[in-house]
Amino acid sequence: MRQFFPVEDLARDERFVQTNMAERLADTRNPMEPASNRKSAKSRSAGNRLTPDRPDASDRARGLMHGIMVGEIQALEGAGRTAHDFEAGDGSGDTIPFELKLDMARQAWDEARHVEISAKLGDWMGTELGEFQENTVLFEAACSNDPVLRLAGVNRALEGLAIDVFTQMKEFGDLAGDPYLEFCEDWMLADEVTHVKMGSDWLRKVTEKDPDRRTKALEFQQVVDKLFSFGGARGDHEESSFKLARRFRELAGFTDDENDTINKLGVDAFNERSQAVKQAQDAASAFADA
Amino acid sequence: MAALVAGQVSVDPAEFTQVKYDANEIAAIVGSLAETLGVSNSISLVVDETTLLAKITCSIDAPSSDATILINAMSGAIENTKHLTTLGVNQTQTSVGRMLLRARDRMRADFAGAGADDDLTLAESAAWDTYCAGRLARAGIEINTQRWRYNHRNRFGFSNAGDADFERLWAADELSWSEVVAGIADI
Repeated sequence: MRQFFPVEDLARDERFVQTNMAERLADTRNPMEPASNRKSAKSRSAGNRLTPDRPDASDRARGLMHGIMVGEIQALEGAGRTAHDFEAGDGSGDTIPFELKLDMARQAWDEARHVEISAKLGDWMGTELGEFQENTVLFEAACSNDPVLRLAGVNRALEGLAIDVFTQMKEFGDLAGDPYLEFCEDWMLADEVTHVKMGSDWLRKVTEKDPDRRTKALEFQQVVDKLFSFGGARGDHEESSFKLARRFRELAGFTDDENDTINKLGVDAFNERSQAVKQAQDAASAFADA
Repeated sequence: MAALVAGQVSVDPAEFTQVKYDANEIAAIVGSLAETLGVSNSISLVVDETTLLAKITCSIDAPSSDATILINAMSGAIENTKHLTTLGVNQTQTSVGRMLLRARDRMRADFAGAGADDDLTLAESAAWDTYCAGRLARAGIEINTQRWRYNHRNRFGFSNAGDADFERLWAADELSWSEVVAGIADI
């Protein structure tokens, strides 16, 4: 069986259309709700968070749920690849401990279940498979040749993002009174915390005697975390769409310092994105005035 | 940038820079849609391409049958969600179609009590959307019923009563404003 699948070779049927982070960031439209459109600065819907009291709540929830579903597909593919791509060994070089392979196989099983759950939630919410573009950034983080980078990029960064998103989606379901959404997200969230914890534990264990490799892995995680901030959509700041689920992250092995760093990456990404959007808007205005 | 005027429809801007929309194509879709829905009024559609959000609102310049329909759409309201920054035909039909039906409702005397779109409560807006989407489906526009059922449930509760209100509105024609929002009392 073939090893090391590039993102271009992911199998999808004709319903799915894929995009990547570069294309998404090339979209210069403002993704944030203009302050002038907000009814009350004190309202829960005053910011960009997904809450039931937003006018576009159900459509936003549908789009996010579809994003979760394709993310689950890619997480399944990533964990499956890691279980298969590397030989069993002591963790040095291109080998991974056999027990790590078992954990990746278990994760793939979890993700397959999550795909089914998410697809059914999509039906429940009135979304068709492939209705929204699929961003392949998640699988791209799982394509490294170093298994430790995959642990950092997929289990810690990707699954860490899942903790933040699932926590918000669970809260949305709870507030909206949607019995299935709240219930399903809660169960999937429990799995995600386990996946991140596996990544945290194996990263420490495999790099125990190789501090340089650990440093590189954590640096790679920061790069991925910044990408997963989607231009500042995640973080503790008021304009973010997703709040860091610090308590669950702590349970999954993130330290306070690590969470602070991820939050700062989100703020940096937000500022960079805001600057880029402003430049694009100015250019568009100049064109319209011409 | 001046608006493009094609038949009864004007689209502003005439040329887009941040999205790959064609004002002629938008005007053609809206014109055909208006014909399908039996709306013969002049229509002015203003698209805000600076935001990817999907809010859309409408108003009429006078409460009469020959009123001009004014529609303000953020670019996401008519976007192809499979190919971002490109125009979505079904998205345009669904979003603008709802607004055309709302505008036509507003021309009726028994809708005098309906507030401006920006002043509607979330429940009022959801009830009206259900009423409009049901009529669009019967007019032959491709509509995902479950999407609108979910939207209705988010405002009227995940309950048998909420679902019954959805079915009432979905199947209805010729309702008055008070009949559209009758289910709100039961929330």
